[in-house]
Amino acid sequence: MIKLENIEATYTTVRGRVKAVEGVSLEIPYSIILGIAGESGCGKTTLMKVIYGDTGFPLELTKGSVDYGFENDRGQPVTSRNIQREWFRNISYVPQSSMSSLNPVTRIRDQFTDFPATYGRKREVLESVREYVQELGLPPESIDAYPHQLSGGMQQRIMVALATFFHPQIILADEPTTALDVVVQKDILILLMRLQRMMRNTIIFVSHDMGVHYQITHKMMIMYAAKTVEYANTDDIFKNPLHPYTLMLTSSLPTIGDERARTGLPGRPPSLWDPPQGCRFAMRCPLATAHCHEVEPQLLEHLPGRFSACHRVDAIPELAAKVWRGPKLSELANDQDKLIAQVESALRADETEGAAAAAALKEEVE
Amino acid sequence: MKLAQYVLQRFATYLAVLFIGLTITFFLPRFMPGDPINNYISQIQARAGQTLSPEAVEQIRNSLAELYGLKGNLFTQYVGFLNRVILHFDFGPSFTNYPEKVSTILLRALPYTVGLLLTTTALSWIIGNLIGLVAGYYNKRAGATVLELLGIVLYPIPYYILAISVLIVLAFWLQIFPISPTFLPGEFTWEKFKQILYNSILPALTLVLAGFGWNILSMKSLAVSTKEEPFVQFARLKGVPNWNRMTGYVFRNALLPQVTALILSLGTIFNGALLTEMIFSYPGVGLLMRTAAGAGDYNLLYGSITLSIIAVATAAFILDLIYPLFDPRIRLGR
Ligand SMILES: Nc1ncnc2c1ncn2[C@@H]1O[C@H](COP(=O)(O)OP(=O)(O)O)[C@@H](O)[C@H]1O
Ligand code: SF4
Ligand SMILES: [Mg+2]
Repeated sequence: MIKLENIEATYTTVRGRVKAVEGVSLEIPYSIILGIAGESGCGKTTLMKVIYGDTGFPLELTKGSVDYGFENDRGQPVTSRNIQREWFRNISYVPQSSMSSLNPVTRIRDQFTDFPATYGRKREVLESVREYVQELGLPPESIDAYPHQLSGGMQQRIMVALATFFHPQIILADEPTTALDVVVQKDILILLMRLQRMMRNTIIFVSHDMGVHYQITHKMMIMYAAKTVEYANTDDIFKNPLHPYTLMLTSSLPTIGDERARTGLPGRPPSLWDPPQGCRFAMRCPLATAHCHEVEPQLLEHLPGRFSACHRVDAIPELAAKVWRGPKLSELANDQDKLIAQVESALRADETEGAAAAAALKEEVE
Repeated sequence: MKLAQYVLQRFATYLAVLFIGLTITFFLPRFMPGDPINNYISQIQARAGQTLSPEAVEQIRNSLAELYGLKGNLFTQYVGFLNRVILHFDFGPSFTNYPEKVSTILLRALPYTVGLLLTTTALSWIIGNLIGLVAGYYNKRAGATVLELLGIVLYPIPYYILAISVLIVLAFWLQIFPISPTFLPGEFTWEKFKQILYNSILPALTLVLAGFGWNILSMKSLAVSTKEEPFVQFARLKGVPNWNRMTGYVFRNALLPQVTALILSLGTIFNGALLTEMIFSYPGVGLLMRTAAGAGDYNLLYGSITLSIIAVATAAFILDLIYPLFDPRIRLGR
């Protein structure tokens, strides 16, 4: 279990200090895919940085700490203080921009062997990398290529291979597919799911695409203006949300790749420079009362395993009946088995495609 | 094979550039007012004090035209010119140092210029880029600002002011180096080598200092922007240590434009040498060009200009050949 305790993360800028994450407490069970959703600028990336332990200037962990629930090789519990030494061994990261995250002037294989986890055993590591990328549907020769010789999808696959190669306990993926086209996006998601099932690691997945969240995550945390507003199983988030903001996020479900998700909500979140006194969602909330504007709601467990920060949880079903415009939940691949079938067939396709690509690459790479 | 095709293609370009350059060198002076032979004859007449008979003048004119390839129509002249220059590296005799051949004079001066400029350009490039790299990579630390300051101070100083200041301090004032160098003629001995080295330190120092500013500042700004690139940030999140990130990631990528600048600057070394060689009376090609221009020694001038053209074109050709070693994206022509 990964425990986030009252996390507060602050950026120092020329204009002053701004809290991009505030009072976030969360208990994440191992071996699940946790989705984090919320509008742009609500602090998702910042929270990911905190969990990864990448809190250098201008970002600072001003309050709280993360307890990762395992011990390092010296027998000490791993927390925010020492997580950096676990990078790419026990915690790894899939960046958003795979296309620009690989060093353009060195071969892929050198990028598997230039970090501390691989020192002194290059050859041995490369042997298994070659086998491993093949498992992920890439030709083994692809690691002899330079990044520009691979397609965007192949590069993102390489990023996934990098992130999963050492079987880390935790994998963070911040919008790992936003830069890719729809077809490739789906392939990468399927790959991530399949690996997670095999390795049983914990994936924390950020996306503003609610359709993707519905398809691949087990639990979800909804963020609004630097705070957690709801945390529950994905099914509950979509079918019986306990927060008006969640309801609005899920009420018009886009499919994968749909851009509407980003612009679908009326109004804008409050400025983090000058957050309002009571509930931060009050300005846009159809259920807001005077009380909401004065007193900030706390994140409480209203039903077993279902947390929400709202004063009027009881009024939500009524609102849902009005707002809910027939979500296309069933139209999405809501059946996990169906998705896995996709996983399998996509992988079979990979192998044939991989063979063709391998032949082409063999000629070029030398 | 792709590589052979690439090299061949570049070589063809190289030849074409050379050919065009030489052609322009041939035609340009011919379309300019003034006749070099008349010019020269009036010089001789001035020296001889109007005592030449018209027949003698006509004779001189004829033999000069023969000597300098100015006989026949333009086409014959052109073919003759290409033939002499390309096949024999022959520019005829020098006007001022008659009858010494221009090519001999050029070849005597060439090692000085090339030696001085190659060494100083390389030194200031290597040291300047290393300073710039560290200054850029650690740009948020105080020590880096000091390094950058070196570039900021040196860059705007005009070369002649820098050179004259160095001359005043080290030659006039401290008298560590000679004001004007002496180069003994004769056999190339160890003694002579030491002497050349000693006499070259002063001009070399000014050239290195002058090159520093640009190298430091441009590498610094390249390093600052490169280290924010996603692939460097990702390397940091992989746990790649600072040193490896600075060298393997930032330097390797920031190097590309700097290599271009280096090679192209090597192509212009004769022009670069002009001012240095004048200030320090250094017997290189720059000084020759200046003497030739001043004395109306057309052959010597053509010779040095041709040499410059060859140098620039060759530098560009070398750049084409070695660039793929630094940037794999060019290697496969994509
Ligand atoms: N480097 C930074 N310096 C200052 N403020 C930042 C920086 N990065 C993000 N922020 C601010 O922190 C807030 C949260 O940003 P971020 O975590 O990137 O949001 P998200 O990933 O949800 O879009 C935003 O208001 C943004 O303006
Ligand atoms: S606390 Fe009030 S304003 Fe905030 S979400 Fe709940 S009902 Fe809306
Ligand atoms: Mg983000």
